[in-house]
Amino acid sequence: MLKQECSINKYFVQGDEAIAEGAIAAGCRYFAGYPITPASEISETIARRFPEVGGVAIQMEDELASIHSVGGASAAGMKAMTVSSGPGISLKLEGLGWGIKNELPYVVVDVQRAGPSNGVATRVGQGDLYTVKYGSAGGNNSIIALSPMNVQEAFDLTVDCFNLSEIFRTPVFLLTDETVGHTRELLVIPDPSELKIVPRRKPTVPPSEFLMYPLNAPGTIDHPFPNIGEGYGICVSPYTHTAKGYATTSEMDQDKMVTHLVRKVTDHLDRLTRVQEEMLDDAEYGIIAYGCEARPAMEAMKKARSAGIKVGFLRPIIIWPFPDEPVYRMACKVKKILVPELNRDGQLSREVQRAAKGQAEVYHLGSGGVETHQPVHVYDELMRIIQGK
Amino acid sequence: MKNQGGDLERTIHPLAEKYLRQERMPHMACPGCGIGQVVHSTLIACDELALTPENTVWVQGVGCSSRITYTLWKGDNIDAHHGRIFAVATGLKLSRPDLNFICFTGDGDCMSIGGNHFLHACRRNLDVTAIMFNNAIYGMTGGQVAPTTPMGAMTPTTPYGNIEDPMDSVQIALAAGASYVARWRSTDFRQIVGSIKKGIQTKGFSFIEILTQCPTQFGRYVLKTGDPIKIVQWYKDNTVTLKKAEKMTPEELKNKMLIGEFAHRTDRTGVVERYWDMIRKMQGERT
Repeated sequence: MLKQECSINKYFVQGDEAIAEGAIAAGCRYFAGYPITPASEISETIARRFPEVGGVAIQMEDELASIHSVGGASAAGMKAMTVSSGPGISLKLEGLGWGIKNELPYVVVDVQRAGPSNGVATRVGQGDLYTVKYGSAGGNNSIIALSPMNVQEAFDLTVDCFNLSEIFRTPVFLLTDETVGHTRELLVIPDPSELKIVPRRKPTVPPSEFLMYPLNAPGTIDHPFPNIGEGYGICVSPYTHTAKGYATTSEMDQDKMVTHLVRKVTDHLDRLTRVQEEMLDDAEYGIIAYGCEARPAMEAMKKARSAGIKVGFLRPIIIWPFPDEPVYRMACKVKKILVPELNRDGQLSREVQRAAKGQAEVYHLGSGGVETHQPVHVYDELMRIIQGK
Repeated sequence: MKNQGGDLERTIHPLAEKYLRQERMPHMACPGCGIGQVVHSTLIACDELALTPENTVWVQGVGCSSRITYTLWKGDNIDAHHGRIFAVATGLKLSRPDLNFICFTGDGDCMSIGGNHFLHACRRNLDVTAIMFNNAIYGMTGGQVAPTTPMGAMTPTTPYGNIEDPMDSVQIALAAGASYVARWRSTDFRQIVGSIKKGIQTKGFSFIEILTQCPTQFGRYVLKTGDPIKIVQWYKDNTVTLKKAEKMTPEELKNKMLIGEFAHRTDRTGVVERYWDMIRKMQGERT
């Protein structure tokens, strides 16, 4: 176990360790990884903890092998996870398509660091927002990604990632960053009885009546997933498949499959919209940030409020699918929105601009990463855009 | 599909009826391809070991080896991305050590794009049976050069002749630590059945390479013939059994491929056994 502090179930740990404990609490019993900063602490914690709980943790020969073995383990009935950071995530994307297409439930953690390429390996960045959403070749995907802002959320959202992956039968990302991953804070691990855990759903009909892929009802979620060795003769492949899993080249079958994959997410936005909203009721200006950048953003908001400026704040917790509706509502209320983020190409700000549909002016506060923005940076930029300088 | 025998049902081999999905027949192999012969040998091995579709999983990669065998097996079929077959098999076998896994891969899948995973599956001595069809060419994509194509061969991507030496998968498997290693020609029917049976029974990684005739691509581009008999004869002329090779000089063995059983180790466990032993030990200590 982790070293307990203060009292029972309270720990002073890194975000990375919280992610490892969240995975264990969620029932994850297969892990494969490849060493990479700043995600290695997750692998190390899991390597130590998994044998204690009867789980398999293996260090594979590369990032590709890690995600593919996790896909295999998922088909074999395990709740499974792999972790990495930017340069490793770009490799893992090769395997991600296989997971998406075959509707394999598993979790991928991306502890973002400053990029591109190897970048600054030990320091923070937020350059993978689009990578995780659009990186898998061929498009037609159903990406779900959650992003924590502190250590407690790193635990809680890891559990949620596993649950969503089972409900939606798809790989789910925990999109975190070096700052959250390496920050030490208080973590309270709830009693297992207090946690809602979604188990693997099993078919209730005999193999002759069961269809592996619910392509005749596109967008179906909560579909059962029989595993290998259960007599269902499951078929998993890289090819476009029929409802049984057989390879097909027909235009109709291809369209059926990808429509289902996309609608799994777009038909259920009510279950996939989760944001934190602060002081939006009377806000005239807004800040939108995610992950580690949410904390300086909220500090800046508080400082502005104490100076009598009506500023509100919004944070996507489920960042993919993007919370278009809450962002639009905010944009209708406020005149200007500031988006601090740790990249210079304006990834989050572009999404905000799209979702705002011209209802508010959107300003990007970028940086190359390495350090998070300080509250004063966000505050000063906010003042600048308010004054229209 | 028209069948010369008239009634299709009467012409189905009893093992095909027992183990293969009838709705997926006939399979995709070109006329004269060697893969069907090896599928037949595999079914005999499964039958003689009394394996069932419930306790045995077929795993595939990408290429002729895999596209032809995918969804033939009545049980579970897990087909990986190109080259990732042993990575996927690692997740499968570590999660379900009680099941048998027969992996169908090709020379491109296993040795080129999946080379690193192949090395590490051997090193970990992953307890699965790998059957590598070596047709010495990229068949499915149109006959491009492979890492196993002979020197000098003209292919669509080596129009002036192949300037690279072919690699020897058997030597790689041996060096990397596989428990069982064998190589046969597709026509060595009984030997292949014997090797697959041994492979399934041997703890650890079992690697069986089959030199498989490809009339459509290898025959056409490299040997300038589409006649499977002539290609099979070419393999006979260019291979030597391990036993015969003992009495031959290095000069005589130049450009010959060795066939036979290269390793059958029973002294080495693998990652699957070791990991679950560790878990059992730790769980035992805790209770």
